[in-house]
Amino acid sequence: MHQAIPCSNTRAWPRPGDISSSPPVRQSGNVRQVVEDNPVVVVGRKGCCMSHSVRRLLQGLGVNPTVYEVSTEEETAVAREVCGTGDAAFPVVFIGGKFLGCIDRLMAVHMSGELVPILKEAGALWL
Amino acid sequence: MELYSGYLEDPFNHMKLLCPNSMTSASTQFASSMRIGGMYDRDHQLGGMWNDPYQVDDSQTTSPSLGDVKLDNPLDDVPNELQGSSKSYEHETSKPPEKVLRRLAQNREAARKSRLRKKAYIQQLETSRIKLAQLEQELDRTRNQGGYISGHLGESNVGLNGAVNSEIAAFEIQYAHWVDEQTRLTCELRSAIQAQVSDIELHMLVESSMSHYENLYRIKAIAARSDVFYIMSGMWRTSAERFFLWMGGFRPSELLKILVPQLEPLAESQTAAVNGLRKSSQQAEDALSQGMEKLQQTLSETLTMGPLGGPDAIVNNYMGQMANALGKLEALVNFVNQGDHLRQEALQQMYKILTIRQAARGLLVLGDYFQRLRALSSLWAARPREPS
Repeated sequence: MHQAIPCSNTRAWPRPGDISSSPPVRQSGNVRQVVEDNPVVVVGRKGCCMSHSVRRLLQGLGVNPTVYEVSTEEETAVAREVCGTGDAAFPVVFIGGKFLGCIDRLMAVHMSGELVPILKEAGALWL
Repeated sequence: MELYSGYLEDPFNHMKLLCPNSMTSASTQFASSMRIGGMYDRDHQLGGMWNDPYQVDDSQTTSPSLGDVKLDNPLDDVPNELQGSSKSYEHETSKPPEKVLRRLAQNREAARKSRLRKKAYIQQLETSRIKLAQLEQELDRTRNQGGYISGHLGESNVGLNGAVNSEIAAFEIQYAHWVDEQTRLTCELRSAIQAQVSDIELHMLVESSMSHYENLYRIKAIAARSDVFYIMSGMWRTSAERFFLWMGGFRPSELLKILVPQLEPLAESQTAAVNGLRKSSQQAEDALSQGMEKLQQTLSETLTMGPLGGPDAIVNNYMGQMANALGKLEALVNFVNQGDHLRQEALQQMYKILTIRQAARGLLVLGDYFQRLRALSSLWAARPREPS
């Protein structure tokens, strides 16, 4: 079960030091399985700092995303599974088992205010 | 870059002014050799082209010498005679010899003047060519010295390290033009709002302003691929603007904070939407900042001296670390791009939330704000200092 961090009206953004949520759940194995089993999955390269940003964004909204780390060898294979083509712009996000997109899409959806409803619908967030 | 490619291809517009027929120096030489042979025949066309600097209009006369005669001998009544003689051109053999001689003399005179004009024109072309070569030399010199020329505000921002990139030099020029166009658009917005133009006209102006910002992000992306540190440093911006630097530009949430009081009155739904947008932007900005911090951390770790071993180990380690670090730096480009992407999203969301009039006002406020920051930078640079 994911613990939701209550949101307040003032800027209650967790500082890097004080994040109280548990460390991101890292999974391995078949990517499709992971995506289906978990409400929010971030698929990214190992040690990628943009992945870190994506995770931080989701964590700030009260979600604890599952992280699926991809090594350079697995990249193309995973990319093909994930979005059909051999090259994906990692990191990519899955919500409720559905492919949301790369960071561009995530940011656009977040800025338009649609991200929180999508997360709630997927059962990743509740308030 | 539709906007700026023309400028880059012909940065010295005055070449066009001097060569109304768009002739290059090679073709000039070719044409002049042709002209020497057909001097008299072609004098009308030549006169047309070369007469601009001298403001003598030969092209309307049948006889090339008529205009010259007017210049030299204003009191002479030769023109009448000439008109008479040109009318009776067909009866050449019946003309009195003095008239023939006179006409020949005048032709010689005209030819001489034509040659002089041609000489003057070619000299003008040569001077321009030299000027062009000098400017190119200067550009090369600055490149080799490792300095970036900041065309705007005359500030000279010399980079401390690294060679100057021709793409960065190009970006500087493009950005200077961008600022000029920005100023123009801001003025247009101001007058359009004051004049209370129709919504349709305002719409077009707003669209132009929005796509102008998109142009900036486009040229920044290209420059970032070339030298991301340059874009991140904000050296291409004025000093006061740099004070607010975040991820290679302005912070969208800060800009929204500035905008909102200037947009009153807003409907309740609009206020709620704008506040939501500002909050989302802050969250996104923080996420990117944290990713950036992680990048700094990993970079530092990559560069830290590894375990000591034999000389081979040290060298291999070093090379490996450098290669590793270089790879990490590539990620910086993504962060700059995400920063710009966030700015774009903020603009587009505001465009959806606001009415067209409010959007126009918002863009005016922004444009004005940036202008004032630039003006502040100039004033700061020019302030009187205490003599020490």
